[in-house]
Amino acid sequence: MTLSRRDFLKATSAAALASPLIDISANKLEAAQGDAPPKRVAIVATIWRYLSHAQHMGDRLLVGYPFEGKWRHPNVKVVSLYVDQKGKRDQSAARAEEFGFKVYPTIAETLRAGSDKLAVDAVVVIGEHGNYPRNEKGQKLYPRYEFFKEITEVFQKDGRAVPVFNDKHLSYSWRKAKEMVETSKRLDFPFLAGSSLPVTWRFPEMELPLESEIEEALVMGVGSSDAMDYHTLEAMQCMIERRKGGETGVKSVQALHGDAVWKAGRDRRWSHDLFEAALSRVDTQYGGENAHPQDFANNGELQRLVKDPTAYFIEHNDGLRTTLLMLNGAIGDYTFAARVKGMSEPQSTQFMLPRVPNVTYSACLVNKIVEMIETGKAPYPVERTQMASALLDRCLDSKLSGGERLDTPELNIRYRAPATSQFCKT
Amino acid sequence: MPRPKIAAIVTEYSPNSHAQHIVDRFLWGYSWRGHHHLPPVDLVSIYVDQADEGDLSRDRATRFPAMRIYPSIAEALTCGGEDLAVDGVVLIGEHGRYPLNEKGQRLYPRYEFFMQIVEVFRRSGRSAPLFSDKHLSWKWEWAKEMVDVSKELGFAFIAGSSTPLNRRFPPVEIPRDAKVEEIVCVATGDADSYDIHALEAMQSMVERRRGGETGVVAMQALRGDAALECLARDSWESGGLDRELFEACLCRSHMLMPPREGFNHILPRLEDIPRLLDGSALAYRFEYADGMKATMILVEGLVHDRTFAARLKGQPEPISLLMSIDSFNPRNFFTPQVNAMEQMFLTGRPTFPIERTLLTTGLTAAGVESLWLGQKRIETPHLAIRYQPTEESTFWRN
Repeated sequence: MTLSRRDFLKATSAAALASPLIDISANKLEAAQGDAPPKRVAIVATIWRYLSHAQHMGDRLLVGYPFEGKWRHPNVKVVSLYVDQKGKRDQSAARAEEFGFKVYPTIAETLRAGSDKLAVDAVVVIGEHGNYPRNEKGQKLYPRYEFFKEITEVFQKDGRAVPVFNDKHLSYSWRKAKEMVETSKRLDFPFLAGSSLPVTWRFPEMELPLESEIEEALVMGVGSSDAMDYHTLEAMQCMIERRKGGETGVKSVQALHGDAVWKAGRDRRWSHDLFEAALSRVDTQYGGENAHPQDFANNGELQRLVKDPTAYFIEHNDGLRTTLLMLNGAIGDYTFAARVKGMSEPQSTQFMLPRVPNVTYSACLVNKIVEMIETGKAPYPVERTQMASALLDRCLDSKLSGGERLDTPELNIRYRAPATSQFCKT
Repeated sequence: MPRPKIAAIVTEYSPNSHAQHIVDRFLWGYSWRGHHHLPPVDLVSIYVDQADEGDLSRDRATRFPAMRIYPSIAEALTCGGEDLAVDGVVLIGEHGRYPLNEKGQRLYPRYEFFMQIVEVFRRSGRSAPLFSDKHLSWKWEWAKEMVDVSKELGFAFIAGSSTPLNRRFPPVEIPRDAKVEEIVCVATGDADSYDIHALEAMQSMVERRRGGETGVVAMQALRGDAALECLARDSWESGGLDRELFEACLCRSHMLMPPREGFNHILPRLEDIPRLLDGSALAYRFEYADGMKATMILVEGLVHDRTFAARLKGQPEPISLLMSIDSFNPRNFFTPQVNAMEQMFLTGRPTFPIERTLLTTGLTAAGVESLWLGQKRIETPHLAIRYQPTEESTFWRN
């Protein structure tokens, strides 16, 4: 017996009522969460359009996300939204109507959700995408610091602070990033920030042992500055912060681009074995007639394919030297390698970034946001993101100066990694 | 020990063909465990059945003169001499212009190639380890004969899809003492082509269950609305499947088609599924000899990857995973498959049991048969194939 398509639709509509496959259009998700009232969340975003960070991360708080083989509906309720820019493709009004929250004209009103006091249990700031100017260093001047100031002003006026998540780097400016972290300490609220690279799947599932003696590390990535070199820096930071003594701060940085990068390679500014190990973790190789596999570390093709390489050389206070390479044109992935005392082989891995449209890595990050909202504790230190923000700012200073080595007392950022590994293994 | 000499016997060596991805790895090497790895074997000869437009074998032979092209399978195996002159054979019967039969099966000459290979083995009085890509043959009896001949001549024989050897997210196996009640695999493709990848994915997971593999006693193939009807029923007994397993598969997918415009990732409702499909859905329902139930669902368009979920007896939560195949150049999912061949060529022992692929070949052919008979449930006494898995996991994890 076969059913017609119409019969199928009838049968499945009936089945859907009893099925665990959810009906996302009904905002009845809390029903499944037991008695605890949902945590009320405000989202503060630059722009909400298809495939913007606000959309793919914000939506996960509305419709749920996959986690450990189930569709997880976190016990949160988005109650208010601020969007700084509403272009032609704005989705904020449609989402507000469908999911029963309001879009407010100011950040203060968003946090107070129509009342006269802070009325949310957490704030999620997604200041990525939208039209903002760039400065002479090429940094896009997203108003994350300004958003944060407005948020913390409400906290201070209303005498209560709640957990805050800030997507990506804290600010394009190391000074602003520093002030944001200090404010969060002063007002004593959990503050989580950063990229999804530290929390996404890795292949292989490699984590450097806590307190291992890292002798040298190298990370490579692709994409534009200052969006993707930031991700790459934070990917490196989440690995090396686990070293003996924790993060001790950065003493100097130097940024090179173009042929100076290849010369630095020939001068062995980075170890070839780490370069080879990181390249061996790449899945996407460009060039090569008919796409045969290539030994990029040794076949000379990399230098031909990468027209404008960038290298950041970072010297830490405890003597650790690390290198970031941006290799547009040759590879398509983000990989890491480190030499660890007592281990004969370099330790290497790829930070996996599953594709558009699902970008499932963002589910890994949203789950960390939810964890902070649920527990009231940031699962990893915001100083990691402060470091990545400040490193990027100062590396771009060095790049603008034509590759000068810069002393960086402002990067004297010390912190310890969380004892438990935070990337997605399940 | 001298480096083993290898012959490649392929249907076509065209851009993006299986032959290209596999043979290229023997020639250029590949990334493996943190290094660029050059296989410690020498690919010395190749036979290409259809080497016309787009052929890369001549280009490769020019770049790698140690690999010579021969006009026949026998000459490739003897390197132009009298007797077998290689220590291993890679048989890739995928891609190329071969006819379809009335049941829709592409008549790749894998069996014919195999028989020509073993003819050289027989007359040389010596055999060599052999890899055969994908299912052994479109015809069950031939597949069975291939395995029987390999046992008779006593050479190591591995075959199948790269999926069992590939990365898993998360990287898990079914525990060796677990009793498995029901499994679901959600994947893409169609009968006699991509179904083999899903079937091999399933089989490589479940063969580790308590008692090992005992085979399949019956199966039914359902296409189109009948397959959708199967999805709509939420238990095996009602003609459907464990809904929680299906949902777990969708939750493991990294390429799940969003059912609503403007959303990048939401779980589709059952009624969303028909309009998300490219072509018709295909479901195979398998009854295993030990009582395990299995459903393979090919839903091209709803997903673009391969996921698996299993209900283990006594466990409240199913296990589920993505069996990852990503199609970025240079198609690294071929890497662990080539490495498995290398291991066999170096040790002379199969890297995983040929019975897995004998069974999946039988399942593929049974699916075609059931569809041919009007989606009828068929008994499969010939598929009561018993085998044990390897002690160690063989999927790619480091």
